[in-house]
Amino acid sequence: MTDVRDHLREWAMPHVLCPGCAHGIVLRSFLEAVDEQEIDRNRLAMVAGIGCSSRLVGYVDFCTLHGTHGRAPAFATGLKMARPELHVVVVTGDGDGLAIGANHLIHAARRNIDITVLLLNNSIYGMTGGQAAPTTPTGAVASTTPGGNTEPNFDACKLLIGAGASFVARVLAANPIEMTRVMVEGMTHSGFSFIEVVSDCPEYYGRYNGMGGGADMLTWMAGREVGVTGPLSSKRFVNHVPSSTAPPGMATGIIQREERPVFTGVHGEGSHGP
Amino acid sequence: MSGAKLVQGNEACVRGALAAGCNFYAGYPITPSSEIAELMVRFLPDAGGVFVQMEDEIASLATVIGASLAGSRAMTATSGPGFSLMQEHIGFATMAEVPCVVVNVMRGGPSTGLPTSPSQGDVMQARWGTHGDHPSIVLAPSSVGEVFNLTVKAFNLAERFRTPVTLIYDEIIGHTRESVVFPDSVDVISRPRPNGDPSTFLPKAAPPDGVPPMPAFGDGYRFHVTGLTHDERGFPTTDPGQAGALITRIHDKVTNHQEEITEIETLMLDDAEIAIFAYGIVGRSAHEAVLRAREAGIRVGMIRPLTLWPFPYHQVGEVAAQVDTLLVAEMNLGQLIGEVERAAAGRSEIVGHLRADGEPITPTDLVAAISGAGAVRT
Amino acid sequence: MDRSEYRIAGAGGQGVVTAGRILAEAAILSGAEAIHNQVYGPQSRGGASRSDVVIATERIGYPLAEEIDLLVALSGEACSRYHPELADRSRLVVDSRCVPTDLRTSDRPYPIVDTARSVSGGQLVSGVVALGVLQALTGVVEAATLCRAVADRVPTRHCEMNLEALEAGMRLVAGDER
Repeated sequence: MTDVRDHLREWAMPHVLCPGCAHGIVLRSFLEAVDEQEIDRNRLAMVAGIGCSSRLVGYVDFCTLHGTHGRAPAFATGLKMARPELHVVVVTGDGDGLAIGANHLIHAARRNIDITVLLLNNSIYGMTGGQAAPTTPTGAVASTTPGGNTEPNFDACKLLIGAGASFVARVLAANPIEMTRVMVEGMTHSGFSFIEVVSDCPEYYGRYNGMGGGADMLTWMAGREVGVTGPLSSKRFVNHVPSSTAPPGMATGIIQREERPVFTGVHGEGSHGP
Repeated sequence: MSGAKLVQGNEACVRGALAAGCNFYAGYPITPSSEIAELMVRFLPDAGGVFVQMEDEIASLATVIGASLAGSRAMTATSGPGFSLMQEHIGFATMAEVPCVVVNVMRGGPSTGLPTSPSQGDVMQARWGTHGDHPSIVLAPSSVGEVFNLTVKAFNLAERFRTPVTLIYDEIIGHTRESVVFPDSVDVISRPRPNGDPSTFLPKAAPPDGVPPMPAFGDGYRFHVTGLTHDERGFPTTDPGQAGALITRIHDKVTNHQEEITEIETLMLDDAEIAIFAYGIVGRSAHEAVLRAREAGIRVGMIRPLTLWPFPYHQVGEVAAQVDTLLVAEMNLGQLIGEVERAAAGRSEIVGHLRADGEPITPTDLVAAISGAGAVRT
Repeated sequence: MDRSEYRIAGAGGQGVVTAGRILAEAAILSGAEAIHNQVYGPQSRGGASRSDVVIATERIGYPLAEEIDLLVALSGEACSRYHPELADRSRLVVDSRCVPTDLRTSDRPYPIVDTARSVSGGQLVSGVVALGVLQALTGVVEAATLCRAVADRVPTRHCEMNLEALEAGMRLVAGDER
């Protein structure tokens, strides 16, 4: 294995992420996954939208596209269809991918285009200063929900399964080795793969909800994965939910995997399909 | 005339795009532009291209930009409501300097407006629709044959200057079938490509003409593309010097080459006392009106820009200096008339003939307006 | 410049747009310049539909019809909408089922839609029957050229039926003159 730092644009550092933010751990796990697959950097396109997680693409020495808010799956669709030999990976956040860009995300999943989407879910809008996101749990505090969020939150993986994603997984930033393993599985999957990474935002989500710093949040996160000693399908992540109507948590691990015809756009005869 | 075919404006757009080497189309259905998508999916695959119908117009242009970054000559087509949604990515393509062609077949607006009626209500949106300070290249054909020619030109300008180019015409031109003869081949210009060492490549370092060489993703150059203000490395910066240099350069690369971009038709201006300023479908009415008014002994001519933006201030100003009255005819409530006033700078009287009810401005309307303009003058 | 203008108007589903396109294509086959315009509403079937064809010996300036030489109205709605706009010198051909009360001596009613029904069992070839009438009345294009344009435009499996409809339209005028 090479040093994953070879994949970084060190000249672009220092990065914009806050101390304690787990997005860096996620990036490292991703670079390990790239390394393990021995992907040619010239053939790896990384596409992002707007937000903290989307800024990661600036620091990796691949072909990188930092697009517009929520639209990364659409940019990625154009890249992949125009140049199918590219490995195309989208990095998005929970606001980017599930609010303003949810439409593009579900349609990319429906088409089963052969790209991988990493959705880094930190339960809040970080870059704009801690506003509530579609993933902010009911009851949680954000700058726009000072009395606690009154809206229900998305389960991103259920949404993507409903949209037809052929590979869906959820991993925790607190489990970096597991994260790399699942990313390799997702990236080698033929068709659309969606991986939600439960990340953290100590600066806003953690501070607003009294969860401590980055290390505290990761420790907390690791402890919120339940059912790990039972069958794999029973593994769940139970978020920070102060209310008594807490849902039973969200499944973790590889939740969905199926083979479906892969979308390549309407080319000449016979190119649409597996 | 040999080889003439009855061709619809929207089909001429598709033929022009294919002649210009278009090999990627993404779009979303909308009247009165849908024929472009329907013909693209028929012809593009055989031409080695890719077609995809997207979930909306925002995604359509994002997909086109992605394809262009991967080396394709890419386009989309829409009408007013979709053009509004595309503004976000017209801005992105301008900032990131990604060649692409956007066709707007104008219908009555605002909002859903008059879906099957003609309008010229989007000509200022085509200039200023996206936020921020930016250049625009906008071409406006007035016949089916010109739709073909200007579609080719739109691709060539997009590639030449690494910028989005808008082709704008109204519902009548889009749906009219006219006898045309297409050329066997056209001149095709491709984006400048780098040939240096990828390890020292600066993606936004421009030569004197202001247009940086552009590799495609996958060509062996690894670089960063962003809509944020960036430096020559393509990396975000908030440094005022770098920010100013970037925004100036993306303007100058267009405005410094205006003579390469601007195309104008003039008719009988030599001795004219009145000139009609018209574009697109109204240019056809103006042409006819000039011929009829001349028969009646009125000294009238016409100036018709095929390039709406950058606006031909110089050429319109010269006409203003020569005539007594400029009659501006457009199918909106007064959009380019403001630019004509700026160009004229008081050197001629400006009279508007404006209409925004979904009906065309006819030659008869303009002959009456010319007579009226003459009466006002005396 | 010799310029003439034709309008075929009716309801969606009467083949009005196709008929206009065929007329324009026939004119181009004859070496003339031609333009075809269509006006339509949101409905694909029913609703109003209109085809305008401008034919000229030279390059056509203004592409839209300004003074119709011949209007073919296949529905009452089309007739009541466009008949009043006709200039004195212009002619009206109207389907026999919807003859207006103010028919002028130069206007001609013909059973165009009924003829289409008897040829095809439906209304869709009404436009082509109307083209037969229009050709016989104006001679703006040769009959043989119009036949070729019909054959070029309609699907092969419907070609024979459309040519029959065209000839039936021409015979309506011939019968009228006898």
